[in-house]
Amino acid sequence: MRVDRHGGGNLCFRDNDGVTTRGSGTVGPSPNTPEALAAVDGEQELIASVLRGDRKAAARLVSTHIDAVYGFVRLRLVPRADLVDDVVQDVFLAALNGLTTFHQRSSLRTWLIGIARHKVEDVYRQRLRSPEALEAGDDVEPEWSSATADLDEQIDAVRVRSQTRRVLAQLPEHYALVLLWRYWEQRSTREMAAAIGASEKSVERTLARARARFRELWEQQRRPSTSGRQ
Amino acid sequence: MSDEHWFERLADATGATDERAPAKLASKVYSAVVAGLAERGPLLDLKDCRRAGGHLCVFEQTLTLLPRATGIGTMNPCRVCHARALGERMEHAPIFWPGCPYSEFHNG
Repeated sequence: MRVDRHGGGNLCFRDNDGVTTRGSGTVGPSPNTPEALAAVDGEQELIASVLRGDRKAAARLVSTHIDAVYGFVRLRLVPRADLVDDVVQDVFLAALNGLTTFHQRSSLRTWLIGIARHKVEDVYRQRLRSPEALEAGDDVEPEWSSATADLDEQIDAVRVRSQTRRVLAQLPEHYALVLLWRYWEQRSTREMAAAIGASEKSVERTLARARARFRELWEQQRRPSTSGRQ
Repeated sequence: MSDEHWFERLADATGATDERAPAKLASKVYSAVVAGLAERGPLLDLKDCRRAGGHLCVFEQTLTLLPRATGIGTMNPCRVCHARALGERMEHAPIFWPGCPYSEFHNG
């Protein structure tokens, strides 16, 4: 799932076709196809059943969507894995509270991921709000060689994903959070600064250090496997 | 490729996930959701759940034998069930009853 930005600051979610589900998931069909219409009907029925207090429908709701919500939250809270379970649970409880206001302008999954995004950003705000959070640096200079930067040659989805997660987990928490917020959540430095009451300059400085540190760890992790092949 | 662009590409390449949530997390979330529903009022009677196509576990089926007037069918027997306790604490919980949501989270 990615967020596309449109003019006027509107956000539009793009479903992530890579997400798998335990149950009869609703991801996939294009709009207005019979499958898509059936999926909408199925979601309407599921929501109505949950609101009637049908516990079996609640099990279906959890079963169908928990993998997507978990995957979304887990990646974005790599540096705070201890919070993932609580955040996922909060997402479903918030969804339960807001189910009557869900008008199906998006799919149920997109709506749930939207709630997850808010919950994750609450964590970012809390963790980065303290004045020292952004200033705590390590002495890495923000520079890297573009000669080693050809990501196209490195793309191997599974390996890149796990390496990314490892590197994010190794970074100081505030570095990982600003990177996730900026690039995975696509927030501007201005938005981030406003959310945590810091100056844009200080967010940019932290981001530069975070990028440099990330790249350094990234290159360190690549070296052994590269030399091993020769 | 600029530093900024490199990170944008990386985020695009790694934003999707095909991970499964741990079964014990699914169990805890389900318990919390049902507890949330129960706080708002009586749950749908088990007989009505079955009528709506839901599968009942052996314990729930037993409860449906009691008269509706007792109100027991609208309660949440999972709250005191060992399947819930196991399901929330173990990753591969040995629970195999058909119709038990915890069993389905672990074996589904």
